[in-house]
Amino acid sequence: MSCLVTLSHTPYGSQDAKESLDVALVLSAFEQKPAVLFLDEGVLQLLPTSQTPSSHKHIGKIVSALEMYDINELWVEQESLDRFSLVADHLSQTVNVIARGQIAQLCAQYDQHLVF
Amino acid sequence: MAGFLYMSDLNTAVSPTVGSSSLTYAIVVRCGPHQQSQALSALQFAKEALLQGHKVLRVFFYQQGVHIASRLRVAPQDELNITALWQQVSLDYELELGVCIAAALQSGIVDRQESSRYELGSDSLASQFTLVGLGQLAAASAECDRLVSFGGN
Repeated sequence: MSCLVTLSHTPYGSQDAKESLDVALVLSAFEQKPAVLFLDEGVLQLLPTSQTPSSHKHIGKIVSALEMYDINELWVEQESLDRFSLVADHLSQTVNVIARGQIAQLCAQYDQHLVF
Repeated sequence: MAGFLYMSDLNTAVSPTVGSSSLTYAIVVRCGPHQQSQALSALQFAKEALLQGHKVLRVFFYQQGVHIASRLRVAPQDELNITALWQQVSLDYELELGVCIAAALQSGIVDRQESSRYELGSDSLASQFTLVGLGQLAAASAECDRLVSFGGN
């Protein structure tokens, strides 16, 4: 069963970013073939940060672990990048950029869609 | 964006292992007891699905949802006690109520075993609820026909 996991939380505002990334990792461990779509503030999880508040786990490290867990399909919405003046080339991971108008088509390619 | 999980194509054929009209559901509850309307929606959905003869594989409580599994909350007298309502549905239908153990421990929701492991002095998990790993969510998503999630932003 393939599953698209949409992440739309800021990396450090709450536990949500970490907890939703955990779901993607566990889905992959259970061979559910997840893909990840970064949306809205979720794109901030892809910022290449070298330092994080000591009170938090480094979200960048979890994001870079996605590849080790065979989650190779990473999508980022173009409009979300624009909102924060970000360019795909400057992100911590190699991602596929997708326009908002195509998101529905993307979702249709998966059996399940989990939105965080 | 609403925390909603769905099958992309509702018209796909139902898995042959279930009857033609009965579906197997897995339900994720990510909202806490204070977000009453969302928490109630999850409960009512589960109850209605069971009433209509569908199977509910498991309810998985995650993120803020783990607070529903606490036996130490006291609901105001004129308000619904969402924990008691879930317990009743669980008893009536032998419904499995799984609580993410990592999220639960961080929120002070512990069963006897975890309480003695961490020497906490007392436990707080309501009866009928079980602490389980996140893997149980993945397993449920693999086995179910429909995965529905409640709560979120």
